[in-house]
Amino acid sequence: MTGKKSAGAGQSRSSPHHHQPGEGRCLDILRQLSAYIDDELPSDICAELRRHVGVCPNCEVFIASLRDTVKLCRSHQAPQLSAQERAMMRQEILQVSKLGAPR
Amino acid sequence: MDSLDSGLMRRPPVQPQSKKPTPPHNAQEFDRLYRDHVDLIYRYAHRLCGEVEAAKDLVQETFLNAYRGLKDFRGEAQISTWLYTIASRACMRMRRKRKGEPERELSLDEFVPTSEGEFRLQIPIDGLTPEQALQNKELREALDQAINKLPKKYRMTLVLRDMEGLSAKEVGTIMGLTERAVKSRLHRARLFVRRELSARGMTQEDHQSSEDWQPGGFGS
Repeated sequence: MTGKKSAGAGQSRSSPHHHQPGEGRCLDILRQLSAYIDDELPSDICAELRRHVGVCPNCEVFIASLRDTVKLCRSHQAPQLSAQERAMMRQEILQVSKLGAPR
Repeated sequence: MDSLDSGLMRRPPVQPQSKKPTPPHNAQEFDRLYRDHVDLIYRYAHRLCGEVEAAKDLVQETFLNAYRGLKDFRGEAQISTWLYTIASRACMRMRRKRKGEPERELSLDEFVPTSEGEFRLQIPIDGLTPEQALQNKELREALDQAINKLPKKYRMTLVLRDMEGLSAKEVGTIMGLTERAVKSRLHRARLFVRRELSARGMTQEDHQSSEDWQPGGFGS
C-alpha cells in the first residue's frame, strides 16, 4: 500500500464505518470492482459485495466514482477527419505503397 | 507485417512477391477497406495518441501495412479486429521508437486508499449524464490528460475496451493477451484514471456543501 495522497483532510469526522481504509473487506472489494461494474461476478459474490457496500460508505463512494469514470470513458468523443483529410491521407498511402496513380 | 518497422515516408517501394503476386483487384479492395474503416481507425488512433498529427501518422502506417497484408488476410477475424491489431502493433512500434523507455507497470497496491479521504474522492459530474458532463471543457481535458498519462499498454486496453467498446475477448485477440490479463490491465487503468480525475475534483463532503456547483466549476 503506497498511496501517496492525503486529499480530503478531515473526512473521517462523519463516517459510521469502522473498517480501516486499505484493510480487510474493503481491499477485497477494491480488487473486484471492475468485474462488479461489468456485471461479471458470480451472483453470490455480487450479493456479498452489495451487502458490504450497504454498510460501508467508503466503498459505496469509491464504487460510484469508478463507475462514473467508466461512464465518462465510454462517452468520450474523438474528433473526426474531414473529407479533405481523408482524401489526402489516402493519396499519401497510395504514393508510398506505389499502389496506383492519383484519381 | 512485423518487418514493416521503418518510418512511413522512408519505406522502400514494395517488391512484388513471385510466389504470391498481388491480385489486380487489390487497389479496389484497398479503396473499399480504406473508405469503410478510416474513420474507425482514426478515432482509435486519436484516442491512443492524444493528438492529431500522431494519429494521422498512425492511420497511414496502419493502412499501408493493411494494404501490404491484404492479400494474406483470410477472413478468420473481423476486418475491423484485424485493422485494430495492425494499428495497435504500429502504435507500439512508433512509441517505442520515440521514447525508448521501459513501460511502467501499474500495481494494484498503488490504488489502495490509505485514508477515508482517498476512498471518498469523487468524479464531479453532479447528476449529469456523462455526455452532459463532458460538455465541460475542463472535465474533458482532464479525462484526456488522465488517459494520456497511462502507460501505453494500459491505455490501449482501456481505449479498446471502454472507449471502442470491444469485448475482453476481442481486446485479448488484438493485444495477444488472455481475457484474464485484459481484465487485470483494464481494472488498473480504470483505477488510474479514476484517481487522476477525482484528485482534481472534490470530496463528497465538499461536493454536497457546494450547493451552487456547476459543471464549469470542475477543478475549482
